[in-house]
Amino acid sequence: MKKEINFAIYAIKKNIQSSAELRTSFWMNVFGMMINNISFVILWVFLIQTVGSIGGWSEADIFGLQGFVALVFGIVYSIGSGLREMPQLISGGRFDQFLISPKNLLTRIATSSFGASAVGDVFFGIICIVIYLFMISATLSQIGMTFLLIIIALITFTGVTIAIQSINFFFTDPEAVTRSVFELFFTPSLFHGGAFQGTTRFVFTFLVPSLLIGTLPVEAITQTSFPKMLLLLVLSIFWFMLSLWFFKKAVRKYESANFMTFGS
Amino acid sequence: MIKDRIQYPARLIVDTFGIATRCGVLLILYYYIFSTRGGVINGLTFQITAWSMFLYFAFMTLRLRDLATSIMQDIKSGTVEVLLSKPINYLSYRMWWQLGAGLYPFFVAVVLGTIALVVAVGIPASMSSWFFVGTLSIVFILGIILSLLVYAVVGLLAFWIEDIKPLYWIVDKAVMILGGSYLPVALFPKVMYQIAIWSPFGASQFVTHTVYDTWRTGYAEMIGIQVFWIVILGIIVSYMFGRAHKKVSVNGG
Repeated sequence: MKKEINFAIYAIKKNIQSSAELRTSFWMNVFGMMINNISFVILWVFLIQTVGSIGGWSEADIFGLQGFVALVFGIVYSIGSGLREMPQLISGGRFDQFLISPKNLLTRIATSSFGASAVGDVFFGIICIVIYLFMISATLSQIGMTFLLIIIALITFTGVTIAIQSINFFFTDPEAVTRSVFELFFTPSLFHGGAFQGTTRFVFTFLVPSLLIGTLPVEAITQTSFPKMLLLLVLSIFWFMLSLWFFKKAVRKYESANFMTFGS
Repeated sequence: MIKDRIQYPARLIVDTFGIATRCGVLLILYYYIFSTRGGVINGLTFQITAWSMFLYFAFMTLRLRDLATSIMQDIKSGTVEVLLSKPINYLSYRMWWQLGAGLYPFFVAVVLGTIALVVAVGIPASMSSWFFVGTLSIVFILGIILSLLVYAVVGLLAFWIEDIKPLYWIVDKAVMILGGSYLPVALFPKVMYQIAIWSPFGASQFVTHTVYDTWRTGYAEMIGIQVFWIVILGIIVSYMFGRAHKKVSVNGG
């Protein structure tokens, strides 16, 4: 386990150094992504200003929501950007080189590339969460909950991402399928959390876990709800274990592309 | 390109499913919001909101925004040199290619979406006239031209800037916000509404305005704004393309 962590840290460090070589491009990607992310904050704040509070949500909660989603997305897709490239690895037959690696397969895939633009998501997420905590005049216990819930949301997001990317092994043209399934999961997580009530809340909590990475963590913090936090912890462990099991099953479906090349 | 798209029905089904779920979830959420506010917000009903958002998402299935990335890839890969040496206008070729790639998914999305919306929410009075059909067609065509020009400007910047992706994201999100994607323009605060009307980003998505009751009084102004931006951006694109053309040296051999 320690060896795997050391390898992951080494790979991430090398990837960051490689990305930072093109300094202008790196920082343009970071700042571009930060500006890009403001869009959903603007949209939902406008909606609240026009319509008023929906489901008890205020402007502060919108900042919290966008902060959580951007931060977990940014962390996973910056240091674990290789997960996103799985469709190309599989359809292009480049997955073979990961299978023969003596390292842990998932760690090796995830850390095989670095997403510079996702660093912008990380910065944006941190700024939004700080604004959110400031706007709700957070207590010490709420600040503590925020840190714990970020970790819980990270586990959930990583788990769901692995599960979605594992679908790649079942299709011959997997890119479009994976993209659509990921959008089905991710896009609702950016929507105004207060508008999810009744059936939609149930569906996007237990069937499609979109609300687990932003909406529910924010509500748990705002309401200082420990039962909600416990529920999130249980669901995150469930999704993570399920995704590992599914990934193992899915990899067995892989058939080398057998391209008539000698690697490149 | 249309024939090419027809050859891959699985991809079309998946793409249509993606857009349908995104638009569908959003409409369910707005249905809840409207029901908590007595069915009318800012003089806007859920029925009008649903059609306005549908028009935005249907327009998006044309994937005109991919023009910017296509141009960038041509420049990065060097394909642009080959295409420039051919007896065709490179920009026209790329624009028609983009349009061809999007027409079939657009047609499928419009047919399926229209049936679903007619059954679910019905047709608003503002849509049941020849005036609506006529003006929608004009605004739709002008919207396509304007969108292509907006994204052509972004794409052509790749001749000078190493990585246009950040700029592309910003322009794309400006179109998304000001076009009335996730929040109908009629629900915008006053200042933002004016920006949406007068900017080329909002003007490229005027199809979403055609279902509003105010459309009958404001259509001529909006068509005028679209034409204005098409002329301005047309001049900019042709100037940029001329400069870019001189920058490229095509090697024989």
